[in-house]
Amino acid sequence: MLKLWRNRKAITPVLSNILLLVIAVAGMSISITATYVITGNLRETMGERFIVEDVWFRPGVISVYLRNTGKTRISTAGIYVDYVAQPFTALELEPLEHDWTNITFAWTPNTVYYLKVITSRGTQVADYYKSPP
Amino acid sequence: MQTTTSRPRDFKRDKKGLSNIIVVVLSLVILAIIVVNVILWNYQMSQSDWERTQETFSVSSISRLTRSPWSTTHTEYQLNLGDRVSGSYSDTQLVDGSYERFRESTPTRELDINGTFSIDISTYPLADIRSVELHLVYSVGDTSEQWYMKAYNWTSGSFSNVGFNSTSGDSPIAGWNSYAVNLTDQWRSYVGNKGKIIIKVHDQGPDAPPTNLDIDYLAVRPVIDGAIFMFRNTGPRTAHLVSIWICNVEAHKRYETDIFVNSGETMSYTRVDITLPNGQFTAKVITERGNTGVYASD
Repeated sequence: MLKLWRNRKAITPVLSNILLLVIAVAGMSISITATYVITGNLRETMGERFIVEDVWFRPGVISVYLRNTGKTRISTAGIYVDYVAQPFTALELEPLEHDWTNITFAWTPNTVYYLKVITSRGTQVADYYKSPP
Repeated sequence: MQTTTSRPRDFKRDKKGLSNIIVVVLSLVILAIIVVNVILWNYQMSQSDWERTQETFSVSSISRLTRSPWSTTHTEYQLNLGDRVSGSYSDTQLVDGSYERFRESTPTRELDINGTFSIDISTYPLADIRSVELHLVYSVGDTSEQWYMKAYNWTSGSFSNVGFNSTSGDSPIAGWNSYAVNLTDQWRSYVGNKGKIIIKVHDQGPDAPPTNLDIDYLAVRPVIDGAIFMFRNTGPRTAHLVSIWICNVEAHKRYETDIFVNSGETMSYTRVDITLPNGQFTAKVITERGNTGVYASD
């Protein structure tokens, strides 16, 4: 035992091998995690789909009913009326979920508005909607 | 030969080269995983988008539904006073001239029969029923006395016609007579929780001539305020309808639905809980894939 302890020449290769093994395992773990995160983000971005089921012009408010038709959770990040961001009630929808989001906006009757809804991952749905008389 | 045998040994000694190969191979594997994952997911989403574009679905018509089909009895009438002469309850299920004949009892010359009917509450839930109507097609030999319809009141536990739109009975003429009553907003007292309704038909009371009562038809039906939709799927894929919108200037109402319309199918769909607004309205039907079928009323 004492002989082994004194034989520093023999310990060095063992230690270096262990160290190399640890570094390799750590490197692989980082690579796999990075792969998982990258592909996960890509998948979520590609899997985002949603539709506007209905737009309802109410006094001082435009209500938009959204349905998540994609394969991943969505959250509304911004709503634009005629290219101008407007305050709205935040909405998060799981796949197949649906709900109202309300935009605070003083609309005028018989006017065409360009509504754009953008999610946190950048997916957008936009269309023209005419307010009632 | 010497060169060939010495190569693996050289290669084994060249640790730098081996490690490079391992790094390159591992990097390739990781890259392959990313690429394959992205391609597969992209394929799946593209397929989903393609399926959506393939969906061709429309709402052909929407009309108001105010009455359900008539419901006849499926059991024999119970005789309280009088006798059965001929026919059976099945003769009272259609207005076709075939009838079930009853005769007033002797010596009081009275007739009193009960028929049990049921409303299909799975199709017409009690919460969506506005009233109930009764319809009797009958003929009598003696036209001098009145005939009455009553219903079993589940609250009071007796037969009554309180709340009916007509309580004065029907004065028959020779030949077939049509006698109809509406239970108005009092209908709920006369319909059991499972949709059961018991109808009593009786004459005015004791009289001299013995009378035959021929019942050609006796039925009940709920009065509702629903809608019939006609859907048409002309696309190659089955459409799964998930929501119905009825919109006008006053309200935008959303109703959940869960029906499938096969490719090439034209389907009639009844909803007793959807009340169509008066005046102009727009109806939208949304599919699970995100397509919308629109119908605008005149």
